[in-house]
Amino acid sequence: MADVINVSVNLEAFSQAISAIQALRSSVSRVFDCLKDGMRNKETLEGREKAFIAHFQDNLHSVNRDLNELERLSNLVGKPSENHPLHNSGLLSLDPVQDKTPLYSQLLQAYKWSNKLQYHAGLASGLLNQQSLKRSANQMGVSAKRRPKAQPTTLVLPPQYVDDVISRIDRMFPEMSIHLSRPNGASAMLLVTLGKVLKVIVVMRSLFIDRTIVKGYHENVYTEDGKLDIWSKSNYQVFQKLCPPGAWRFSHGNSKTSSGGVGRPGGKTQQVTDHATTALLHYQLPQMPDVVVRSFMTWLRSYIKLFQAPCQRCGKFLQDGLPPTWRDFRTLEAFHDTCRQ
Amino acid sequence: MGVTCVSQMPVAEGKSVQQTVELLTRKLEMLGAEKQGTFCVDCETYHTAASTLGSQGQTGKLMYVMHNSEYPLSCFALFENGPCLIADTNFDVLMVKLKGFFQSAKASKIETRGTRYQYCDFLVKVGTVTMGPSARGISVEVEYGPCVVASDCWSLLLEFLQSFLGSHTPGAPAVFGNRHDVVYGPADTMVQYMELFNKIRKQQQVPVAGIR
Ligand SMILES: [Zn+2]
Repeated sequence: MADVINVSVNLEAFSQAISAIQALRSSVSRVFDCLKDGMRNKETLEGREKAFIAHFQDNLHSVNRDLNELERLSNLVGKPSENHPLHNSGLLSLDPVQDKTPLYSQLLQAYKWSNKLQYHAGLASGLLNQQSLKRSANQMGVSAKRRPKAQPTTLVLPPQYVDDVISRIDRMFPEMSIHLSRPNGASAMLLVTLGKVLKVIVVMRSLFIDRTIVKGYHENVYTEDGKLDIWSKSNYQVFQKLCPPGAWRFSHGNSKTSSGGVGRPGGKTQQVTDHATTALLHYQLPQMPDVVVRSFMTWLRSYIKLFQAPCQRCGKFLQDGLPPTWRDFRTLEAFHDTCRQ
Repeated sequence: MGVTCVSQMPVAEGKSVQQTVELLTRKLEMLGAEKQGTFCVDCETYHTAASTLGSQGQTGKLMYVMHNSEYPLSCFALFENGPCLIADTNFDVLMVKLKGFFQSAKASKIETRGTRYQYCDFLVKVGTVTMGPSARGISVEVEYGPCVVASDCWSLLLEFLQSFLGSHTPGAPAVFGNRHDVVYGPADTMVQYMELFNKIRKQQQVPVAGIR
């Protein structure tokens, strides 16, 4: 309402200014009339000249006076439309029939919403950019218009695709048999039998390897009700060393981060260093999960010589009663856990 | 079970069987092996009864009936170079009923008793072999639990055996040699014990008294 009052005051100044302009125009035309008429007929030449100059001066004074008045009024009028936040659309508020055309209040609401929307969108964009899985820096900055491509949602791959990838891998390695089952709904479980050396239960989330349990060839991998036993660990230290004791997530990280067992050489208790986990951390590639599974299986296959390959560093089979349980990710050579650094 | 190697440890010069066993077990304990109870393997010999033999000078086959404390519910019946039968312990009663065909050889019972040791995934059993009242030798059994194929882990086993048997490390058992990539089983261990007992029976009695 304050706006409206303010504008009405200006309007008064407006009308005064208009009359000031009219006054100015008439005083200016009087000046020209005076010049056009020339000197009036008077008795003496001197008298005629005097009267003309006096008349002309009066006319110029009145022009000057009217001009000053106009200038004073024009300052009062100001620039109302430019100060208004909605610019010229603010003039809609001057419409006297508010009830019939509530355009102005609607416009204000729309303006507020649009402002809020922009603010929240800005916040969200900042947050989402932080969480971006892509490592290239030129995502948002270069072209703000181009939206980043949606991440491939590998967690929702169709089961048929997972089956195909696994059966392809199964055919790749003749000494390794992979049996796929889905006892708990969508996520697959693999029972990998490697020669007559070991068995691995692999719990998958789509094509991500979620958990592995390594057991001996002759150890039971089923629970009493015939399901794959994903909780109990092997009775043998050599497989416990290959097998993680707890559940973990497949995530970013380098291959050294999980080698927690180095600090307790020759420990008789449960071996914490789980090489299978370390391998998973090494072979991570979120964009191509099938490559990850294949690399993991290639690495796993090198354990076919678990009991036959001496350590590539010390040349021995046993260290603290354990064979070389580590396989280099690149060369697949056998090393004792303590010989691999 | 894993792959097992059974061998004989000769009695150290100037020492008794018991002293040699103690030397060996001390070595194992130094290595870090932990005691885990006791064990016993016994063996009884049966002849084919004379009445069932033919007249053409046929010699009777020997049958060995064995027990192993590792398999308390089983009884093993073996022929030399022949098949190995794994039966319930009731088999002993059956043998009594089969007296007409198989006769127990007198004073043939031989057994080994001793302590089990666990070292990582290895199970070591050092036993004193006795026949009747006398100690006849020392048996050393080493089992590597995680592996099931003998040829896969023989080199590894050998390295372990050398670590506490030194120069008395045996060669590969005969049962390892003839089959490649076959899963090792309890019968293979019993065959090795049978062969060890037969070897010890043929050896001269060690002049040691009062071992028991
Ligand atoms: Zn080494």
